Amino acid sequence: MNILGIDTTTKVLNIAIVNNSKIVVDCKINKTEKTHSAIILPLLNSILNLTGIELKRIEAIAVSIGPGSFTGLRIGLSTAKGLAFALSIPIIGINSLESYAFEWLNFPGILCPLIKARRGEYYFSLYFNKNNNLNQIRDYQCEKWINIKQELFRYKDNIYVFGYGLIDILQEEKIEELSKINNIFFLKNNQSAANAINVALIGEKRFLEKKCDDIYKLTPFYISKSEAEIKKDRK
Amino acid sequence: MKDIIIMGIETSCDETSVALVKNGKYLLSNIIASQMEIHQRYGGVVPEIASRKHMEFIMITCKEALDKAKITLNDVDGIAVVPGPGLKGSLLVGLSFAKAVAFALDKPLIGVNHIEGHLYANFLNNKKIKPPFISLVVSGGHTSLILAHNIGLYEIIGRTRDDAAGEIFDKIAKYLGFNYPGGPIIEELAKDGKDDAIKFPRPLINSNDFDFSFSGLKTAVIYFLIEKKKSGEQVNINDLCASFQKAIIDSIKYKTLSAAQKYNISSIILGGGVAANESLRKELVKDARKANIKVYYPPKELCTDNAAMIACAGFYKLKTGITDSFNLEVFTE
Repeated sequence: MNILGIDTTTKVLNIAIVNNSKIVVDCKINKTEKTHSAIILPLLNSILNLTGIELKRIEAIAVSIGPGSFTGLRIGLSTAKGLAFALSIPIIGINSLESYAFEWLNFPGILCPLIKARRGEYYFSLYFNKNNNLNQIRDYQCEKWINIKQELFRYKDNIYVFGYGLIDILQEEKIEELSKINNIFFLKNNQSAANAINVALIGEKRFLEKKCDDIYKLTPFYISKSEAEIKKDRK
Repeated sequence: MKDIIIMGIETSCDETSVALVKNGKYLLSNIIASQMEIHQRYGGVVPEIASRKHMEFIMITCKEALDKAKITLNDVDGIAVVPGPGLKGSLLVGLSFAKAVAFALDKPLIGVNHIEGHLYANFLNNKKIKPPFISLVVSGGHTSLILAHNIGLYEIIGRTRDDAAGEIFDKIAKYLGFNYPGGPIIEELAKDGKDDAIKFPRPLINSNDFDFSFSGLKTAVIYFLIEKKKSGEQVNINDLCASFQKAIIDSIKYKTLSAAQKYNISSIILGGGVAANESLRKELVKDARKANIKVYYPPKELCTDNAAMIACAGFYKLKTGITDSFNLEVFTE
């Protein structure tokens, strides 16, 4: 059973294929001159050619619906919808923060995935991780790091912070400051946080549980309103 | 010969549209989800909101187009889509979706320039127009004269140096206190006015090229209104609209006919929202006839942005062997 995973929420374009919970493909491209839209299908085509997997052997498409880059989310979701619609297969929208948290299941305690947003803010959420089960203990939100940090201070458990834009936070934080926080840990994986593998793995789980999404109703999870709406609300 | 059905997808500005066209002539369906009411609240199109709405509407618009045409995706022989010009975020939704559908169906992808698309609104309803022709695309975003040597072989011979003609209509309408888009309101008021009542300039009419300029006209109209207000004189709104509209039509008419004569072309085709203006159509037809030039224009509902024209253009391009690869990229101008 092949599940295609797509993550275009960051600058990195990431496509993965999992088969019965095994990773078959994980392909990342970090190139900024072209939009993800120009690369995603040629990349998928190459992957299928190289692996010999036929497109009609893909049984469902899992796509990261954000939060993340607004344009990126739409490219990923429009592509996933076009594929799912034309192939008549289910689509599963996966929250990007959840897919990041899935990466660090070996760390018991509180997982804090985050994704850099605009205006120096970060999308984030908190999950309590016990026995590899994620329990979301805080709703998704967009905040400045300083506010997120204040919130983290309230917990006595070990807290693991990771995600897209972590490097900026580490630069912002003074080392002395960090040493005072002995239950907060920053987890750095290789440069990109894009996580199509986990998108596909979570998607596979949902697919087996028959928890797929309605292709007509699935929309990106922006969290933030558009600038124009924010300005209008202020008036 | 087997029927060829093309699906057209257009998301370049604030209308999400999907259409199905058979053999480049027969309109099977043309669904348009307009966002105009949403953007009216902001006084113009807000790009990020437009992109979000396209994402919301694209699937259902596509489904409705198929249902209305009483066909399934498997009956579709090619996907035509607009990669530009337009708003980047909006274009990306339609383009990404179109590419994925074409890829999954293993059917050709045909990129159609939005301005090029407007020409093909004329080819629907089984009209037979053979290139070469001079095409005038005149809307809220464009005012261009195009010499079409053949299908897919175009030469832009003139364009506006500042505002588009439709934009000027809307700006003057806004100044007069009418709702967006105000072009059609001006046209309506002009019907009861004298078009020679007020002398407005026709910028660039004597230039030796086929470029347009309308911002000087806009300034002239606004100054005229300010002066009248200062002196307390009443302005006949019908006369004002008629005289202003005449100035735009004269500029467009003169340049378009000169282009046809210079290149020795006997067909002119119109496209774009302003091509729905009846006075423009009438005047152009009348003067063209004197010069033995035939003028074609689409029905009004196909003048504004729609996917039917994109599907139609896609058919002719496919027939000529012009298709695109999946690395097709968006462009904004």
